[in-house]
Amino acid sequence: MNTTARFDADLLRRYDRQGPRYTSYPTAPQFSEAFDEDAYRDVARRSNDDPIPRRLSLYAHMPFCQSPCFYCGCNRIITRDPARAEAYLSRLVREVSMVAPLFDRDRDVVQLHLGGGTPNFFTAAQLRELVDCLHRHFHFSERADRDISIELDPRFVDADSIAALAAMGFNRASLGVQDFDPQVQAAVNRVQSVEQTLAVVAACRQNAFSSINIDLIYGLPGQNAAGFGRTLDIVIAARPDRLAVYSYAHLPQMFKAQRQIDETLLPDAERKLGLLQLAIEKLTAAGYQYIGMDHFALPADELSVALERGSLHRNFMGYTTHAESDLIGLGVSAISHIGDSYSQNPRDLSLWEHAIDNGRLPVWRGMQMGRDDLARAELIQRLMCQGVVDIAALESRHDLDFGAYFRADLVRLHPLVADGLVEYDGEELRVTSRGRMLVRNIAACFDHYLHQPTAQPLRYSRVI
Amino acid sequence: MNSAALSRVRHSPIVDDGDELRFCTTCAFSEACLSQGYDKSALGELHVLVEHVGPYREGDHLFREGDPFTAIAAVRAGTVKTYVLDESGREQVLGFFLPGEVIGLNAIHQARYPCNAIALDTVALCRFSFPRMAVLASRMPGLQAQLFRLLSMDIGKAALLAGDYSADERMAAFLVSLSLRYARRGFSPTRFRLTMARTDMANYLRLAAETVSRVLRRFQDDGLLTVERRELEILDLPRLQGLARSVLRD
Repeated sequence: MNTTARFDADLLRRYDRQGPRYTSYPTAPQFSEAFDEDAYRDVARRSNDDPIPRRLSLYAHMPFCQSPCFYCGCNRIITRDPARAEAYLSRLVREVSMVAPLFDRDRDVVQLHLGGGTPNFFTAAQLRELVDCLHRHFHFSERADRDISIELDPRFVDADSIAALAAMGFNRASLGVQDFDPQVQAAVNRVQSVEQTLAVVAACRQNAFSSINIDLIYGLPGQNAAGFGRTLDIVIAARPDRLAVYSYAHLPQMFKAQRQIDETLLPDAERKLGLLQLAIEKLTAAGYQYIGMDHFALPADELSVALERGSLHRNFMGYTTHAESDLIGLGVSAISHIGDSYSQNPRDLSLWEHAIDNGRLPVWRGMQMGRDDLARAELIQRLMCQGVVDIAALESRHDLDFGAYFRADLVRLHPLVADGLVEYDGEELRVTSRGRMLVRNIAACFDHYLHQPTAQPLRYSRVI
Repeated sequence: MNSAALSRVRHSPIVDDGDELRFCTTCAFSEACLSQGYDKSALGELHVLVEHVGPYREGDHLFREGDPFTAIAAVRAGTVKTYVLDESGREQVLGFFLPGEVIGLNAIHQARYPCNAIALDTVALCRFSFPRMAVLASRMPGLQAQLFRLLSMDIGKAALLAGDYSADERMAAFLVSLSLRYARRGFSPTRFRLTMARTDMANYLRLAAETVSRVLRRFQDDGLLTVERRELEILDLPRLQGLARSVLRD
């Protein structure tokens, strides 16, 4: 697959509209409260019944943050009270002890990710308690490619904590940076020095973390090419294995924190596009490969290798090399993907607490995918990860006639074909290098729910 | 690869319903009757004996141990598992029945079903009165021969896994047997759905559930087959047959 990102300002401008990011298909708004605790138990049991049950990925949501970053759209709780971490941890441990027995013990855990919030709001000792608990209840793979990863806020972590994390088995870290420009940092309420960030990178390397990711955001208030360019230079010099460059999605009606952002400081569409172009040019020149969506990686990184081999996958934690694993989400708002089902814990902390205190699995909503969902999910997964769909293979696996089944979708795809984003010859559906940055738009053509007459007004982020 | 070259795999084969002029596509007796050259009226006589029942949903019992035996039934669609419970209530899987195969033969002797039968997915049956079938068979030698053949196959099946075989041999024999049986009914011999749960397979093969997965994973690593969820594709049938030979003998 072509691993360069082709930047075409005119095209991006025309296709800059709202759309899902397809970390799942169907997307979370389709989940229903009809999917309950019993449904969860049922899909877990069935997932053990496969001849070779899938391996497991674990995600634990750690929701607390010391201070609010104004751009954040995550589910998080701002507090400085360490007692809240302790109370959360004790319930999380209870959740693990309720959920783990539903899965057969010979299903190895190949991936554990702690996300947030700020996982390092919790002390190293608290995180060790969680990791120990997970090891008691699950069998972790001994394979070298197992991923034990954590999101770190470099402002609140020291070298000793990193050493402690490494001792617990963490081998991947993702550091939030966003932008080093002091003006931008002030405007988003996240003041973080270059020094403390680089110190964390160095500590991760000293402790033999096999991969470091850095998150940047473009489109933030007060951001400009000069400042963001300096940020990119500093980050590139630190040589993280992976980089994510996210587009800031300003949705103040959905995310309260964003209401604190001075909208007059937001770069307009043109300037935002310029920032993206700058990032792509600098990263490409520095040897980073474009993985897909917002992600870049060094050529030797497993993601780049998997991209070349066509074995890349995508789940709620982003792109991954771990193919077909069942994902168990733990903690408030966490999403699980077990068998052909999705399910989500309550986003509201008190509801999550209440379920666990009453000995119930905290399942808020979910869905059991139908045959149509499965066919479209595979098609979208292949578009986003391989950039090509083998029509005959899809037809065979899902027992359908592609041209007839996706007739309406192919009509929607027509203008994208005309614009050279994607090619379709009856045997393959192939994303062109021109279309790689707009793969969300291509995937959206095949999203059944997006094109229902009764569809909810869109509340998705913009593409660019 | 183009789409024409790839045969579609139907996950839950839905059979053509027969009528007084045509057999159902999975009929357990069609071959015997057709090869004997029975005409439409003889076929009509057979067809009036049968009663299409179902669909049963996954988990539904078709009969339970001790129920009075009145009819044998052929599976038209889906998979049926038969099992008994031992004294301590533990399940013992006796067998799996695929489209075109006949269940209830082991009940003829005692006039009661000696086991339980449960639908593993959506199951449709073709049920026929055994006494009337026996009368018809006395006039149709081909039908009688087919009944005896089915009976002896049922006995042979139970003996299959009684020997002292390795896990690899048991698993290979099980898959080769499924392949043969699907092929016999016109389905793909190399691509089919494993409709039974891992625990059922393990129970039937007298293996631990983890062993079932370990053996399948090893077969997969060795290029014998691929398993994706419940979908199985046999990549090297001759080699699998080689592994199964000591169990299946012929």
